[in-house]
Amino acid sequence: MTAPTESAIDIWDDGVLVDPYPTYAALREQAGVVYLPKNDLYVLTRYDIIRDALGDPATFSSTALGFNPMVNEALQGTSLASDPPLHTQLRATLSENLTPRALRGLKVTIDEKADKLVAELAASGSFEAVDSLARAFPLEIVADLIGFSGHVKDNMLRWGQAAMQVIGPMNQRTQESFPIAGELYGWCSTVTADDLAPGSIGRGIFDAETRGDIPEGTAGHIIHQYLGAGVDTTIASIGNIVALFGRHPEQLELVRENPDLVPAAFAEVLRYWAPIHIWGRTATRDVEIDGVTVPAGAQLGILFGAGNRDPRHYENPDVFDVTRNPVDHLSFGYGPHGCAGQGLAKLEAHAIIDALARRVRSMAIADEVREPSNITRSHEQLQVVKVVAA
Amino acid sequence: MRIELDRPRCEGHGLCEEAAPKLMHLDDDGELVIDTPEVDGADLDTAKAAVRVCPVAALRLAGQ
Ligand code: HEM
Ligand code: SF4
Repeated sequence: MTAPTESAIDIWDDGVLVDPYPTYAALREQAGVVYLPKNDLYVLTRYDIIRDALGDPATFSSTALGFNPMVNEALQGTSLASDPPLHTQLRATLSENLTPRALRGLKVTIDEKADKLVAELAASGSFEAVDSLARAFPLEIVADLIGFSGHVKDNMLRWGQAAMQVIGPMNQRTQESFPIAGELYGWCSTVTADDLAPGSIGRGIFDAETRGDIPEGTAGHIIHQYLGAGVDTTIASIGNIVALFGRHPEQLELVRENPDLVPAAFAEVLRYWAPIHIWGRTATRDVEIDGVTVPAGAQLGILFGAGNRDPRHYENPDVFDVTRNPVDHLSFGYGPHGCAGQGLAKLEAHAIIDALARRVRSMAIADEVREPSNITRSHEQLQVVKVVAA
Repeated sequence: MRIELDRPRCEGHGLCEEAAPKLMHLDDDGELVIDTPEVDGADLDTAKAAVRVCPVAALRLAGQ
Protein backbone atom coordinates (compact mmCIF):
# COMPACT_ATOMS: atom_id res chain seq x y z
CA MET A 1 0.00 0.00 0.00
CA THR A 2 1.55 3.28 -1.10
CA ALA A 3 0.36 6.37 0.73
CA PRO A 4 -0.57 9.48 -1.27
CA THR A 5 1.91 12.34 -1.54
CA GLU A 6 1.40 15.33 0.73
CA SER A 7 1.26 19.07 0.32
CA ALA A 8 1.53 21.81 2.95
CA ILE A 9 -1.22 23.83 1.25
CA ASP A 10 -4.21 24.94 3.32
CA ILE A 11 -7.06 24.69 0.83
CA TRP A 12 -9.15 27.21 2.86
CA ASP A 13 -6.38 29.82 3.05
CA ASP A 14 -7.79 33.27 2.18
CA GLY A 15 -5.43 33.71 -0.76
CA VAL A 16 -6.23 30.27 -2.18
CA LEU A 17 -9.99 30.85 -1.90
CA VAL A 18 -9.83 34.12 -3.80
CA ASP A 19 -7.48 32.84 -6.53
CA PRO A 20 -7.36 29.03 -6.38
CA TYR A 21 -6.19 28.23 -9.92
CA PRO A 22 -2.39 28.36 -9.38
CA THR A 23 -2.87 26.07 -6.36
CA TYR A 24 -5.12 23.73 -8.35
CA ALA A 25 -2.46 23.51 -11.07
CA ALA A 26 0.30 22.70 -8.58
CA LEU A 27 -1.76 20.02 -6.80
CA ARG A 28 -2.92 18.50 -10.09
CA GLU A 29 0.63 18.24 -11.38
CA GLN A 30 1.74 16.67 -8.11
CA ALA A 31 -0.80 13.81 -8.29
CA GLY A 32 -4.42 12.85 -8.91
CA VAL A 33 -4.95 12.63 -5.15
CA VAL A 34 -2.93 14.66 -2.65
CA TYR A 35 -3.09 14.53 1.15
CA LEU A 36 -3.26 17.90 2.91
CA PRO A 37 -2.19 17.41 6.57
CA LYS A 38 -3.27 20.98 7.46
CA ASN A 39 -6.86 20.09 6.53
CA ASP A 40 -6.66 16.33 7.20
CA LEU A 41 -8.08 15.94 3.73
CA TYR A 42 -7.38 14.00 0.53
CA VAL A 43 -8.06 16.27 -2.42
CA LEU A 44 -8.95 14.93 -5.87
CA THR A 45 -7.39 17.05 -8.58
CA ARG A 46 -7.71 15.44 -12.03
CA TYR A 47 -10.71 15.23 -14.33
CA ASP A 48 -11.04 11.45 -14.73
CA ILE A 49 -10.44 10.75 -11.07
CA ILE A 50 -13.07 13.25 -9.98
CA ARG A 51 -15.64 11.99 -12.46
CA ASP A 52 -15.06 8.36 -11.50
CA ALA A 53 -15.42 9.19 -7.80
CA LEU A 54 -18.67 11.10 -8.38
CA GLY A 55 -20.03 8.14 -10.34
CA ASP A 56 -19.25 5.64 -7.59
CA PRO A 57 -21.35 6.44 -4.49
CA ALA A 58 -20.77 2.96 -3.02
CA THR A 59 -17.07 3.79 -2.55
CA PHE A 60 -17.41 7.56 -2.09
CA SER A 61 -20.20 8.23 0.35
CA SER A 62 -22.06 11.52 0.70
CA THR A 63 -23.19 10.95 4.30
CA ALA A 64 -20.47 13.25 5.66
CA LEU A 65 -20.06 15.62 2.75
CA GLY A 66 -19.55 18.73 4.87
CA PHE A 67 -16.18 19.54 6.40
CA ASN A 68 -17.31 19.83 10.04
CA PRO A 69 -19.41 17.49 12.21
CA MET A 70 -22.07 20.06 13.03
CA VAL A 71 -23.08 20.62 9.43
CA ASN A 72 -23.11 16.90 8.71
CA GLU A 73 -25.49 16.48 11.61
CA ALA A 74 -27.70 19.27 10.27
CA LEU A 75 -27.80 17.80 6.75
CA GLN A 76 -28.93 14.33 7.84
CA GLY A 77 -32.03 13.30 5.96
CA THR A 78 -31.35 15.49 2.92
CA SER A 79 -30.80 14.09 -0.54
CA LEU A 80 -27.45 15.84 -0.64
CA ALA A 81 -26.14 13.90 2.36
CA SER A 82 -27.57 10.48 1.61
CA ASP A 83 -26.39 7.50 -0.45
CA PRO A 84 -28.43 5.17 -2.66
CA PRO A 85 -30.92 3.55 -2.16
CA LEU A 86 -32.30 6.22 0.22
CA HIS A 87 -30.89 8.93 -2.01
CA THR A 88 -32.74 7.63 -5.05
CA GLN A 89 -36.07 8.06 -3.27
CA LEU A 90 -35.31 11.51 -1.84
CA ARG A 91 -33.92 12.72 -5.14
CA ALA A 92 -37.08 11.77 -7.00
CA THR A 93 -39.25 14.14 -4.92
CA LEU A 94 -36.57 16.81 -4.86
CA SER A 95 -36.00 16.90 -8.59
CA GLU A 96 -39.57 16.41 -9.72
CA ASN A 97 -40.21 20.15 -9.77
CA LEU A 98 -36.81 21.03 -11.16
CA THR A 99 -36.57 18.86 -14.26
CA PRO A 100 -36.46 20.66 -17.59
CA ARG A 101 -39.96 19.36 -18.32
CA ALA A 102 -41.32 20.78 -15.06
CA LEU A 103 -39.64 24.12 -15.72
CA ARG A 104 -40.72 24.50 -19.33
CA GLY A 105 -43.55 26.83 -18.39
CA LEU A 106 -41.14 29.25 -16.71
CA LYS A 107 -38.90 29.92 -19.68
CA VAL A 108 -40.93 32.75 -21.15
CA THR A 109 -41.15 34.66 -17.86
CA ILE A 110 -37.47 34.16 -17.10
CA ASP A 111 -36.44 35.33 -20.57
CA GLU A 112 -38.66 38.42 -20.31
CA LYS A 113 -37.34 39.35 -16.87
CA ALA A 114 -33.73 38.94 -17.97
CA ASP A 115 -34.30 41.00 -21.08
CA LYS A 116 -35.95 43.83 -19.18
CA LEU A 117 -33.28 43.95 -16.49
CA VAL A 118 -30.36 43.77 -18.92
CA ALA A 119 -31.93 46.38 -21.23
CA GLU A 120 -32.22 48.81 -18.31
CA LEU A 121 -28.65 48.19 -17.20
CA ALA A 122 -27.31 48.48 -20.74
CA ALA A 123 -29.05 51.84 -21.15
CA SER A 124 -27.69 53.13 -17.82
CA GLY A 125 -24.11 53.65 -19.02
CA SER A 126 -22.50 52.00 -15.98
CA PHE A 127 -23.61 49.75 -13.15
CA GLU A 128 -22.46 47.57 -10.26
CA ALA A 129 -23.12 44.05 -11.56
CA VAL A 130 -23.24 42.02 -8.33
CA ASP A 131 -26.14 43.69 -6.57
CA SER A 132 -28.03 44.85 -9.62
CA LEU A 133 -27.74 41.69 -11.72
CA ALA A 134 -25.91 38.65 -10.30
CA ARG A 135 -27.88 38.79 -7.03
CA ALA A 136 -31.06 40.57 -8.08
CA PHE A 137 -31.97 38.20 -10.87
CA PRO A 138 -31.71 34.72 -9.26
CA LEU A 139 -33.18 36.03 -6.00
CA GLU A 140 -36.26 37.20 -7.83
CA ILE A 141 -36.59 34.02 -9.89
CA VAL A 142 -36.14 31.67 -6.92
CA ALA A 143 -38.47 33.74 -4.73
CA ASP A 144 -41.17 33.52 -7.41
CA LEU A 145 -40.53 29.84 -7.94
CA ILE A 146 -40.86 28.90 -4.29
CA GLY A 147 -43.50 31.51 -3.67
CA PHE A 148 -41.78 33.67 -1.04
CA SER A 149 -42.42 37.23 -0.25
CA GLY A 150 -41.77 39.69 2.56
CA HIS A 151 -39.05 39.06 5.15
CA VAL A 152 -38.15 35.69 3.70
CA LYS A 153 -37.26 37.25 0.39
CA ASP A 154 -35.11 39.82 2.17
CA ASN A 155 -33.25 37.05 3.98
CA MET A 156 -32.65 34.76 1.02
CA LEU A 157 -29.24 36.15 0.14
CA ARG A 158 -27.89 35.95 3.72
CA TRP A 159 -29.41 32.51 4.25
CA GLY A 160 -28.17 31.15 0.93
CA GLN A 161 -24.63 32.38 1.55
CA ALA A 162 -24.55 31.06 5.10
CA ALA A 163 -25.91 27.64 4.08
CA MET A 164 -22.88 27.21 1.81
CA GLN A 165 -20.34 28.79 4.16
CA VAL A 166 -21.14 26.36 7.02
CA ILE A 167 -20.22 23.36 4.85
CA GLY A 168 -16.58 24.45 5.29
CA PRO A 169 -14.24 23.49 8.14
CA MET A 170 -14.91 24.96 11.59
CA ASN A 171 -13.10 28.25 10.88
CA GLN A 172 -14.23 31.75 11.75
CA ARG A 173 -16.34 32.08 8.60
CA THR A 174 -18.23 28.89 9.47
CA GLN A 175 -18.72 29.90 13.10
CA GLU A 176 -20.12 33.28 12.13
CA SER A 177 -22.45 31.74 9.57
CA PHE A 178 -24.00 29.01 11.73
CA PRO A 179 -26.49 31.31 13.47
CA ILE A 180 -27.62 32.66 10.09
CA ALA A 181 -27.91 29.18 8.55
CA GLY A 182 -29.85 28.32 11.70
CA GLU A 183 -32.45 30.95 10.81
CA LEU A 184 -32.92 29.16 7.47
CA TYR A 185 -33.21 25.71 9.10
CA GLY A 186 -35.65 27.22 11.60
CA TRP A 187 -37.80 28.87 8.99
CA CYS A 188 -37.88 25.76 6.80
CA SER A 189 -39.04 23.58 9.68
CA THR A 190 -41.98 25.87 10.46
CA VAL A 191 -43.03 27.08 7.02
CA THR A 192 -46.52 26.06 5.92
CA ALA A 193 -48.37 26.09 2.61
CA ASP A 194 -50.09 29.35 3.57
CA ASP A 195 -46.73 31.14 3.70
CA LEU A 196 -46.19 30.46 0.00
CA ALA A 197 -47.92 32.09 -2.95
CA PRO A 198 -50.76 30.08 -4.52
CA GLY A 199 -49.70 28.48 -7.79
CA SER A 200 -45.98 28.52 -6.92
CA ILE A 201 -43.83 25.41 -7.07
CA GLY A 202 -43.17 25.74 -3.33
CA ARG A 203 -46.89 25.62 -2.65
CA GLY A 204 -47.15 22.59 -4.94
CA ILE A 205 -44.57 20.73 -2.85
CA PHE A 206 -46.63 21.31 0.29
CA ASP A 207 -49.79 20.23 -1.48
CA ALA A 208 -47.98 17.01 -2.44
CA GLU A 209 -47.16 16.48 1.23
CA THR A 210 -50.79 17.08 2.26
CA ARG A 211 -51.95 14.58 -0.37
CA GLY A 212 -49.47 12.05 1.01
CA ASP A 213 -47.47 11.86 -2.24
CA ILE A 214 -44.30 12.62 -0.32
CA PRO A 215 -43.58 11.69 3.32
CA GLU A 216 -44.61 14.07 6.07
CA GLY A 217 -42.00 16.69 6.87
CA THR A 218 -40.16 16.46 3.53
CA ALA A 219 -41.57 19.65 2.03
CA GLY A 220 -39.57 21.88 4.39
CA HIS A 221 -36.41 19.88 3.62
CA ILE A 222 -36.92 20.32 -0.10
CA ILE A 223 -37.41 24.08 0.15
CA HIS A 224 -34.31 24.21 2.34
CA GLN A 225 -32.24 22.47 -0.30
CA TYR A 226 -33.53 24.69 -3.11
CA LEU A 227 -32.46 27.72 -1.12
CA GLY A 228 -29.23 26.27 0.21
CA ALA A 229 -28.01 24.80 -3.07
CA GLY A 230 -29.61 27.08 -5.62
CA VAL A 231 -29.02 30.68 -4.61
CA ASP A 232 -25.35 31.33 -3.90
CA THR A 233 -24.16 29.12 -6.79
CA THR A 234 -26.32 30.78 -9.42
CA ILE A 235 -25.32 34.23 -8.16
CA ALA A 236 -21.67 33.24 -8.52
CA SER A 237 -22.17 32.01 -12.07
CA ILE A 238 -23.95 35.17 -13.23
CA GLY A 239 -21.23 37.36 -11.74
CA ASN A 240 -18.71 35.20 -13.59
CA ILE A 241 -20.59 35.68 -16.88
CA VAL A 242 -20.32 39.46 -16.61
CA ALA A 243 -16.69 39.39 -15.48
CA LEU A 244 -15.57 36.98 -18.21
CA PHE A 245 -17.35 38.83 -21.01
CA GLY A 246 -15.93 42.08 -19.62
CA ARG A 247 -12.43 40.62 -19.68
CA HIS A 248 -12.87 38.97 -23.08
CA PRO A 249 -14.85 41.33 -25.35
CA GLU A 250 -14.03 39.19 -28.40
CA GLN A 251 -15.88 36.28 -26.77
CA LEU A 252 -19.00 38.41 -26.27
CA GLU A 253 -18.66 39.41 -29.92
CA LEU A 254 -18.70 35.73 -30.94
CA VAL A 255 -21.97 35.16 -29.08
CA ARG A 256 -23.41 38.38 -30.53
CA GLU A 257 -22.64 37.09 -34.02
CA ASN A 258 -24.00 33.63 -33.27
CA PRO A 259 -26.65 33.41 -30.52
CA ASP A 260 -26.65 29.60 -30.90
CA LEU A 261 -23.49 29.76 -28.81
CA VAL A 262 -25.40 30.79 -25.66
CA PRO A 263 -25.52 27.30 -24.07
CA ALA A 264 -21.90 26.62 -25.02
CA ALA A 265 -20.88 29.97 -23.55
CA PHE A 266 -22.49 29.13 -20.20
CA ALA A 267 -20.88 25.69 -20.11
CA GLU A 268 -17.53 27.40 -20.71
CA VAL A 269 -18.15 30.00 -17.96
CA LEU A 270 -18.91 27.14 -15.56
CA ARG A 271 -15.86 25.17 -16.66
CA TYR A 272 -13.53 28.16 -16.52
CA TRP A 273 -14.59 29.36 -13.05
CA ALA A 274 -16.33 26.71 -10.98
CA PRO A 275 -18.88 28.30 -8.59
CA ILE A 276 -18.22 25.57 -6.02
CA HIS A 277 -14.61 25.43 -4.82
CA ILE A 278 -14.63 22.15 -2.92
CA TRP A 279 -17.13 19.44 -2.04
CA GLY A 280 -16.87 16.42 0.23
CA ARG A 281 -17.13 12.64 0.17
CA THR A 282 -15.86 9.91 2.52
CA ALA A 283 -14.13 6.69 1.48
CA THR A 284 -16.19 3.69 2.56
CA ARG A 285 -13.21 1.31 2.18
CA ASP A 286 -9.49 1.38 1.47
CA VAL A 287 -9.49 2.56 -2.11
CA GLU A 288 -6.77 2.78 -4.70
CA ILE A 289 -6.75 6.10 -6.58
CA ASP A 290 -4.07 6.91 -9.15
CA GLY A 291 -1.82 4.12 -7.82
CA VAL A 292 -1.95 5.08 -4.13
CA THR A 293 -4.20 3.98 -1.28
CA VAL A 294 -6.67 6.26 0.46
CA PRO A 295 -7.74 4.66 3.75
CA ALA A 296 -11.31 3.75 4.70
CA GLY A 297 -13.01 6.60 6.51
CA ALA A 298 -10.81 9.27 4.90
CA GLN A 299 -12.40 12.65 4.13
CA LEU A 300 -12.06 13.61 0.48
CA GLY A 301 -12.23 17.08 -1.04
CA ILE A 302 -13.33 17.25 -4.64
CA LEU A 303 -11.79 20.18 -6.48
CA PHE A 304 -14.21 20.68 -9.39
CA GLY A 305 -12.21 23.67 -10.64
CA ALA A 306 -8.96 21.68 -10.75
CA GLY A 307 -10.61 18.94 -12.82
CA ASN A 308 -12.14 21.52 -15.16
CA ARG A 309 -8.67 22.82 -16.05
CA ASP A 310 -7.03 19.41 -16.43
CA PRO A 311 -4.96 19.45 -19.64
CA ARG A 312 -5.36 15.65 -19.75
CA HIS A 313 -8.99 16.30 -20.61
CA TYR A 314 -9.33 19.78 -22.14
CA GLU A 315 -7.01 21.31 -24.72
CA ASN A 316 -5.60 24.71 -23.67
CA PRO A 317 -7.65 24.52 -20.47
CA ASP A 318 -6.62 27.96 -19.23
CA VAL A 319 -8.11 29.68 -22.28
CA PHE A 320 -11.70 30.98 -22.05
CA ASP A 321 -13.31 29.96 -25.34
CA VAL A 322 -17.09 30.13 -25.88
CA THR A 323 -16.87 27.86 -28.90
CA ARG A 324 -15.44 24.96 -26.88
CA ASN A 325 -18.82 23.67 -25.61
CA PRO A 326 -17.51 21.59 -22.68
CA VAL A 327 -20.83 19.87 -21.89
CA ASP A 328 -19.02 17.39 -19.63
CA HIS A 329 -17.56 20.03 -17.25
CA LEU A 330 -17.60 19.12 -13.57
CA SER A 331 -19.12 22.27 -12.05
CA PHE A 332 -22.56 20.65 -11.62
CA GLY A 333 -20.98 17.48 -10.25
CA TYR A 334 -21.83 14.23 -12.01
CA GLY A 335 -23.83 11.06 -11.49
CA PRO A 336 -26.50 10.32 -8.87
CA HIS A 337 -25.96 13.64 -7.04
CA GLY A 338 -25.34 15.66 -10.21
CA CYS A 339 -26.97 19.06 -9.71
CA ALA A 340 -30.73 18.65 -9.52
CA GLY A 341 -31.19 22.34 -10.28
CA GLN A 342 -29.06 22.55 -13.41
CA GLY A 343 -32.14 22.97 -15.60
CA LEU A 344 -33.10 26.08 -13.63
CA ALA A 345 -29.54 27.40 -13.44
CA LYS A 346 -29.28 27.06 -17.21
CA LEU A 347 -32.64 28.74 -17.84
CA GLU A 348 -31.50 31.72 -15.77
CA ALA A 349 -27.97 31.96 -17.12
CA HIS A 350 -28.93 31.38 -20.75
CA ALA A 351 -31.53 34.14 -20.44
CA ILE A 352 -28.88 36.53 -19.09
CA ILE A 353 -26.26 35.65 -21.72
CA ASP A 354 -28.82 35.89 -24.49
CA ALA A 355 -29.96 39.30 -23.24
CA LEU A 356 -26.37 40.55 -22.89
CA ALA A 357 -25.59 39.40 -26.42
CA ARG A 358 -28.58 41.25 -27.84
CA ARG A 359 -28.51 44.36 -25.64
CA VAL A 360 -24.82 45.06 -25.08
CA ARG A 361 -22.30 46.01 -27.72
CA SER A 362 -19.38 46.15 -25.31
CA MET A 363 -18.66 46.58 -21.62
CA ALA A 364 -15.58 47.46 -19.60
CA ILE A 365 -15.19 46.20 -16.06
CA ALA A 366 -13.14 47.28 -13.03
CA ASP A 367 -12.93 46.62 -9.30
CA GLU A 368 -13.44 42.87 -9.43
CA VAL A 369 -13.64 42.12 -5.72
CA ARG A 370 -13.84 38.61 -4.31
CA GLU A 371 -14.06 37.83 -0.60
CA PRO A 372 -12.69 34.52 0.67
CA SER A 373 -15.50 32.07 1.18
CA ASN A 374 -15.34 28.39 2.21
CA ILE A 375 -17.37 26.77 -0.56
CA THR A 376 -18.75 29.23 -3.12
CA ARG A 377 -16.39 31.37 -5.14
CA SER A 378 -18.21 34.52 -6.14
CA HIS A 379 -17.78 38.26 -6.58
CA GLU A 380 -18.52 40.68 -3.78
CA GLN A 381 -18.32 43.59 -6.17
CA LEU A 382 -17.96 44.03 -9.91
CA GLN A 383 -18.18 47.44 -11.52
CA VAL A 384 -19.20 47.74 -15.14
CA VAL A 385 -17.60 51.15 -15.69
CA LYS A 386 -18.80 51.62 -19.22
CA VAL A 387 -21.46 49.74 -21.11
CA VAL A 388 -22.40 50.52 -24.69
CA ALA A 389 -25.92 49.44 -25.57
CA ALA A 390 -26.47 47.61 -28.83
CA MET B 1 -24.45 -3.18 -27.80
CA ARG B 2 -27.73 -2.04 -26.32
CA ILE B 3 -28.48 1.46 -24.96
CA GLU B 4 -30.24 1.13 -21.62
CA LEU B 5 -31.99 3.90 -19.75
CA ASP B 6 -32.49 4.00 -16.00
CA ARG B 7 -35.87 5.69 -16.46
CA PRO B 8 -36.51 6.90 -12.87
CA ARG B 9 -33.11 8.55 -12.88
CA CYS B 10 -33.57 10.37 -16.21
CA GLU B 11 -34.61 13.99 -15.62
CA GLY B 12 -34.90 15.02 -19.22
CA HIS B 13 -31.78 17.20 -19.40
CA GLY B 14 -31.57 16.29 -23.07
CA LEU B 15 -27.80 16.42 -23.42
CA CYS B 16 -27.87 12.87 -24.75
CA GLU B 17 -30.17 13.93 -27.56
CA GLU B 18 -27.78 16.71 -28.50
CA ALA B 19 -24.96 14.18 -28.69
CA ALA B 20 -26.94 11.51 -30.54
CA PRO B 21 -30.03 13.00 -32.21
CA LYS B 22 -30.34 10.02 -34.54
CA LEU B 23 -30.49 7.52 -31.69
CA MET B 24 -32.75 9.20 -29.12
CA HIS B 25 -35.04 12.18 -28.57
CA LEU B 26 -37.14 13.85 -25.90
CA ASP B 27 -40.83 13.58 -26.72
CA ASP B 28 -43.38 16.34 -26.25
CA ASP B 29 -43.73 15.48 -22.57
CA GLY B 30 -39.98 15.71 -22.08
CA GLU B 31 -39.65 11.93 -21.74
CA LEU B 32 -36.65 10.35 -23.37
CA VAL B 33 -37.37 7.92 -26.20
CA ILE B 34 -34.56 5.69 -27.43
CA ASP B 35 -35.20 5.31 -31.13
CA THR B 36 -32.31 2.99 -31.88
CA PRO B 37 -31.51 0.86 -28.84
CA GLU B 38 -29.26 -1.65 -30.65
CA VAL B 39 -26.09 0.05 -31.87
CA ASP B 40 -22.85 -0.92 -33.61
CA GLY B 41 -20.23 0.65 -35.87
CA ALA B 42 -20.37 4.44 -36.05
CA ASP B 43 -23.60 4.50 -34.05
CA LEU B 44 -21.79 2.84 -31.18
CA ASP B 45 -19.38 5.78 -30.91
CA THR B 46 -22.26 8.24 -30.96
CA ALA B 47 -24.07 6.18 -28.32
CA LYS B 48 -20.95 6.20 -26.15
CA ALA B 49 -20.84 10.00 -26.43
CA ALA B 50 -24.49 10.21 -25.34
CA VAL B 51 -23.86 7.93 -22.35
CA ARG B 52 -20.89 10.08 -21.39
CA VAL B 53 -22.67 13.43 -21.38
CA CYS B 54 -25.70 12.41 -19.33
CA PRO B 55 -25.14 14.53 -16.20
CA VAL B 56 -26.92 12.10 -13.89
CA ALA B 57 -25.51 8.85 -15.35
CA ALA B 58 -28.92 7.55 -16.41
CA LEU B 59 -27.72 5.87 -19.61
CA ARG B 60 -25.48 2.86 -20.10
CA LEU B 61 -24.37 0.49 -22.79
CA ALA B 62 -24.94 -3.18 -22.08
CA GLY B 63 -23.90 -6.58 -23.39
CA GLN B 64 -23.62 -7.93 -26.91
C1 HEM C 1 -24.70 27.55 -11.47
C2 HEM C 1 -25.43 27.14 -10.49
C3 HEM C 1 -25.25 25.85 -9.76
C4 HEM C 1 -24.11 25.10 -9.53
C5 HEM C 1 -22.70 25.39 -9.98
C6 HEM C 1 -24.52 23.92 -8.77
C7 HEM C 1 -23.66 22.92 -8.38
C8 HEM C 1 -24.04 21.73 -7.79
C9 HEM C 1 -23.18 20.60 -7.53
C10 HEM C 1 -21.69 20.57 -7.79
C11 HEM C 1 -23.93 19.62 -6.98
C12 HEM C 1 -23.46 18.20 -6.63
C13 HEM C 1 -23.34 17.93 -5.19
C14 HEM C 1 -22.80 16.55 -4.92
O1 HEM C 1 -22.24 15.89 -5.80
O2 HEM C 1 -22.91 16.12 -3.77
C15 HEM C 1 -25.27 20.13 -6.88
C16 HEM C 1 -26.34 19.43 -6.32
C17 HEM C 1 -27.59 19.98 -6.12
N1 HEM C 1 -28.05 21.20 -6.60
FE1 HEM C 1 -27.00 22.54 -7.70
N2 HEM C 1 -25.85 23.99 -8.54
C18 HEM C 1 -26.35 25.14 -9.12
C19 HEM C 1 -27.67 25.58 -9.14
C20 HEM C 1 -28.71 24.94 -8.47
C21 HEM C 1 -30.07 25.43 -8.43
C22 HEM C 1 -30.60 26.67 -9.12
C23 HEM C 1 -30.77 24.54 -7.63
C24 HEM C 1 -32.21 24.51 -7.19
C25 HEM C 1 -33.08 25.40 -7.17
C26 HEM C 1 -29.84 23.52 -7.22
C27 HEM C 1 -30.17 22.43 -6.44
C28 HEM C 1 -29.35 21.36 -6.17
C29 HEM C 1 -29.74 20.23 -5.37
C30 HEM C 1 -31.08 20.05 -4.71
C31 HEM C 1 -28.64 19.35 -5.34
C32 HEM C 1 -28.55 18.03 -4.59
C33 HEM C 1 -28.82 16.88 -5.52
C34 HEM C 1 -28.64 15.53 -4.87
O3 HEM C 1 -28.08 15.41 -3.79
O4 HEM C 1 -29.08 14.55 -5.48
N3 HEM C 1 -28.60 23.78 -7.75
N4 HEM C 1 -25.33 21.41 -7.40
S1 SF4 D 1 -29.02 13.31 -20.71
FE1 SF4 D 1 -29.55 11.80 -19.16
S2 SF4 D 1 -31.09 12.79 -17.90
FE2 SF4 D 1 -30.92 13.92 -19.79
S3 SF4 D 1 -32.51 13.12 -21.13
FE3 SF4 D 1 -30.62 12.05 -21.57
S4 SF4 D 1 -30.69 10.26 -20.23
FE4 SF4 D 1 -32.21 11.66 -19.46
